[in-house]
Amino acid sequence: MAFLASVFAFAAGHKGAAAAQQSAPAASAPSKSAGAASGDPARGKSLFEQNCSSCHGVDATGGEGPDLHGVPASLGDEAVVNIIKHGIRGTAMPMFFDLSDKEAADIIAFLRSFDASATAGTVKGDPKAGKALYESSGCSACHMIEGQGGSVGPELTRIGAMRGPTSLEDRLIDPGANLPQNGTGFYSSKWTEYLMFRAVEKNGHVIEGMRVGEDSFVIVLKDGSGKFHALWRPDLRSLAQEPGKSLMPSFKSALSPAQMDDLVAYLMTLKGAQ
Amino acid sequence: MRMRQWILAALLAGACAGSRAQDVPYQRIVRADREPQSWLTYGGNYQSQRFSRLAQVNRGNVAQLRVAWIYQPVRPVANLESVPIVADGVMYITEPPSTVTALDVRTGLRLWSWSPVLPKHIVSIGLYATSRGVAILGHTVYIGTADAHLVALDAKTGAVRWNVPVADNKMGYAITGPPLAINGKILIGTGGSEAAVRGLLDAYDAKTGRRLWRLWTVPRVGESGADTWGPGAAQSAGGTTWNNGSYDPELNLVYWGTGNPAPDFNDDDRPGDNLYTCSLLAIDPDTGKMKWYFQFSPHENHDWDSAEPPVLLDAVIAGKPRKLVVLANRNAFYYVLDRLTGKFITGVPFARETWAKGLDANGRPILEPNQQPTLGAGTLVYPSITGAVDWSSPSYSPITGLFYVSTHETGAYYIKGTGKIEQGGQGPRGIVGGGGIRALAGEQSYGAIRALEATTGKRKWQFRLLSPAWVGTLATAGGLVFSGSDEGNFFALDAETGKPLWNFYMGHEIRSNPITYELDGKQYVFETAGNAYVAFTLP
Ligand code: HEC
Ligand code: HEC
Repeated sequence: MAFLASVFAFAAGHKGAAAAQQSAPAASAPSKSAGAASGDPARGKSLFEQNCSSCHGVDATGGEGPDLHGVPASLGDEAVVNIIKHGIRGTAMPMFFDLSDKEAADIIAFLRSFDASATAGTVKGDPKAGKALYESSGCSACHMIEGQGGSVGPELTRIGAMRGPTSLEDRLIDPGANLPQNGTGFYSSKWTEYLMFRAVEKNGHVIEGMRVGEDSFVIVLKDGSGKFHALWRPDLRSLAQEPGKSLMPSFKSALSPAQMDDLVAYLMTLKGAQ
Repeated sequence: MRMRQWILAALLAGACAGSRAQDVPYQRIVRADREPQSWLTYGGNYQSQRFSRLAQVNRGNVAQLRVAWIYQPVRPVANLESVPIVADGVMYITEPPSTVTALDVRTGLRLWSWSPVLPKHIVSIGLYATSRGVAILGHTVYIGTADAHLVALDAKTGAVRWNVPVADNKMGYAITGPPLAINGKILIGTGGSEAAVRGLLDAYDAKTGRRLWRLWTVPRVGESGADTWGPGAAQSAGGTTWNNGSYDPELNLVYWGTGNPAPDFNDDDRPGDNLYTCSLLAIDPDTGKMKWYFQFSPHENHDWDSAEPPVLLDAVIAGKPRKLVVLANRNAFYYVLDRLTGKFITGVPFARETWAKGLDANGRPILEPNQQPTLGAGTLVYPSITGAVDWSSPSYSPITGLFYVSTHETGAYYIKGTGKIEQGGQGPRGIVGGGGIRALAGEQSYGAIRALEATTGKRKWQFRLLSPAWVGTLATAGGLVFSGSDEGNFFALDAETGKPLWNFYMGHEIRSNPITYELDGKQYVFETAGNAYVAFTLP
């Protein structure tokens, strides 16, 4: 019965971790020295197998948690150390406060061994101009930063500590792409909340929205106006996922490349309240 | 004040029930079917059928079931998988990791609680420290603890009668499964295959705790079966006995399943069938000697233990009355065996599987090529590491002739590792084995309650679940099958058709097998979820 234990132990662990995180002061500064150069990929492999593989797969290509190939390159090592040590609040990604900086660096070295070419990207734009764009583009209708804004999309208060410029730009250009579709039930990744569903009721009435909750009898969808629909599954005519769809519009044509850089630069300043 | 008086009255009522002498002699358990008001063994009776003759709650009224009481432990628990024993007005539950609590079955109030003093660091590799339940015999309840002790407690007070170490937890032995209490003896198995311990099954004198016999499930050099391990026979490991067994009082045979060989995934050092891992053993409880064995998965390397509870039933096959033992195996096959001889009668897949073309005339799997764990990205194989079913118990209704099993439909990439397993001594984070897996993403998996014709394994119906569940089934004479989902639905299905008749959202994953019992002329159904032990009844 190997591995069950790991899955469940983590499951139990991350719940606790998530709860603890709510009250813990927001992330302390990640260590500067945790570069891939200082890590030992062989040690990292074994640490990864012990701590991460139950969710991210032994080869880090994903499972309950997302594919991590190229992630240190696109997020940057600091962000990954931050994620490892503090978890991602409100998701199944637990915090590993007991892993040392050295161990985190070893894991990153292991992850980097898969793809040396991808990069996190660099901050090119002007964050002040980006902030103005954020305010004028209607982002806050859907996103919350430090308690202000809407809740259709994920909170962005700490997004700059968790993502790199390249991955943020990808999200603005092609929202909905690469949304993980896995995981339901209690210990699933929060990402699955943003997966779109289309439900057709017996009377032909169609409801489209993000799945915010689901069990063997009920599915709860949240539509674009923020309204929740609790649907009794046995009574539905059909229920289907809409992979690739997102409630977030693409900003590819709305923003010039320079504006995109500014917006990303602003998002990168969002590292959470100290 | 009024409230307090009421509670006092309830307590007295409980105490009265208690003073009806907690006494469950062996003969009472043999005839468990005749007192459906009680639940006397883990599997409901010695045959592990999990069937109740109670019919007050039935197809017509199950939709009206409501909560009678909820018990919650003083401190929150994790991995709650407890299946209670109910006898003489008292319910005996376990609280993870190894606490036994007696509840007044009328009110859910606690009568007494006992916890072992556990070492600070419990070695639990490939399992988590919890307890799936106790056994009762005479005036005593028995529990196997996380640190691999067997403890006898006074059923009325919780006082310790005796406490013996079964095996060394530092090596990785740990107990989660319930003991099996038969005439004068307590049988107990352990987990720990992932720590490379040598599997064993023990019998203890119910009165004194003296060990009567020990059966090693994997032979060492010179013992019968050692030739199925190649050079590995010097260090043969695995074959642990971590679930519950069944018993036929007439044949005086105990049936107990064994787990995977060690290390999993990497089989380089153990060429051969690796007896008696992934097998069902028929054991004479007077001597501890094996009467026969049937190996489901020879030379196993996908972690498909065969520790699922064997179900004993009598049925007519080809015009002849037969004594059968049936088992839905983690390897995705459903098996029907003769329980006198261990002879294979039939076996069919009950869930998607890609590793075997089928079973030969003796029930040995005919392997598909390229379905073994491989280095690198691994090989996609169905079922996944959690199997088509894991430890949760199936049920069998003699009324419908159907076998009800909560099934996992999912596959996994199996990856062979290069690491060698070492006995014991792993840190708390250590998850070892000869490799690992990558499970298919959640949306590619689902669960189902499946009804199989017990003598053939042919599927009669299924009720689909969102995700694979870890909840046993309970069949009743009310024409119902109760089970639960991983999302927290406790529900009842029509035993003939699988139609959903009742659903109660318990607010947390369900991980225990439901039971039923009767009190004051009312039938109760019982299930746990999260931190709660919940009794349901009609208004
Ligand atoms: C209990 C399951 C689980 C475990 C164990 C786990 N993770 Fe995660 N991890 C997740 C989930 C789920 C996410 C996605 C979180 C979200 O919704 O943003 C995630 C996200 C991440 C991310 C961010 C990925 C991205 O593209 O933004 C990184 C980096 C990461 N995990 C690294 C690790 C490492 C390293 C370990 C081991 C030390 C680990 N995780 C252990 C579940 C897990
Ligand atoms: C109509 C609602 C809506 C608007 C407007 C919107 N978003 Fe989103 N956003 C979402 C949703 C829903 C998601 C999650 C699904 C996805 O990633 O496609 C998301 C995801 C994101 C993410 C990825 C978060 C992560 O964890 O990686 C970022 C970054 C983001 N949005 C930024 C913005 C910015 C900046 C704007 C304004 C230019 C904006 N969004 C406008 C709904 C919206």
